[in-house]
Amino acid sequence: MISKDKYLIIGAVIICLAIAVMAPFIASNNPDGLEKSAQQISNTHESGIYEAPFANYTIQIFGNGPFAGIAAMAVGILIVLGLGYLLAIILRKRKPPETSK
Amino acid sequence: MHIPDGFIPLWQCGIYYIILFIALYFSLNWARKNLDEKMVPLMAVLAAGIFAIMSLNIPIPWGTSGHMVGGALVAIIFCAPEAAVIIFTLVLLVQGLFFGDGGLTTLGANIINMGIIGGVVGLYSFKALRRPIGKVPAIFIASWLSIFLAAEMVAVELWLAGTFPLGAGLLLMGLYHAIIGIIEGILTVVVILALEKTRPDLLAWNRIKKMDNQKPSEESN
Repeated sequence: MISKDKYLIIGAVIICLAIAVMAPFIASNNPDGLEKSAQQISNTHESGIYEAPFANYTIQIFGNGPFAGIAAMAVGILIVLGLGYLLAIILRKRKPPETSK
Repeated sequence: MHIPDGFIPLWQCGIYYIILFIALYFSLNWARKNLDEKMVPLMAVLAAGIFAIMSLNIPIPWGTSGHMVGGALVAIIFCAPEAAVIIFTLVLLVQGLFFGDGGLTTLGANIINMGIIGGVVGLYSFKALRRPIGKVPAIFIASWLSIFLAAEMVAVELWLAGTFPLGAGLLLMGLYHAIIGIIEGILTVVVILALEKTRPDLLAWNRIKKMDNQKPSEESN
């Protein structure tokens, strides 16, 4: 990996983690556009057939404070970064094998 | 904009999954032909960034909130909506499985809305608008349109599911996401301009231009 790419990854991780740290303080508890619309014009509710381990972007073992939210976001960012890198490596274009002259 | 489990009947979820698998087939083929070594870190950091901005609900008027999506951002950077399909499949899968944001039965519909519609509308409206109105306004309008039309598609899907009435669904989803789209537009412009300043080699339109410039000189040699 060239150094420019290392700086790209480091810079992006810093920005993403800064968003994670700010998230518990700036995120709104109001319903999002879809939830609000559903409240106004529908009686349908979430079925709850699957319980996610870090539901509502909170890691319960850290309690209910802001750190539980920061940790959940940070874990998510690192999981997606790692899986994204792995996926791109697997899917990338392969160089054709060099033919002997 | 993440549709939760229970909002769409399972048979309709199946249809959205089939559409997703077809889109993924073409997207994976695109990656095998076009995603070179240099784009690997970019794809990873964009996936992480999309996760971060989609997980953060910011307050908007009328007692509601919204998050940015980034479908247009990814498609414009790669000049390919297929890149948005791959990244959104990964991000929405992680959000659904680990964080309960968006349903697992509705995953196909959510990827169609945010990845496919977001990416296709974002890229092709950017391409159509770039010459007549200029790059920055084109990026802004394309990304606004991408989130607005994705939200309207959600309203149509929920109408087909019998969950929302069509008129009220289109009105409310359109209204809320028209506001969120302004923030989406600004963010998309900022990220693309920042990338153009720091790493212009990563923007697909610069790479395509470079290849076009190289071809005549190669032919003359």
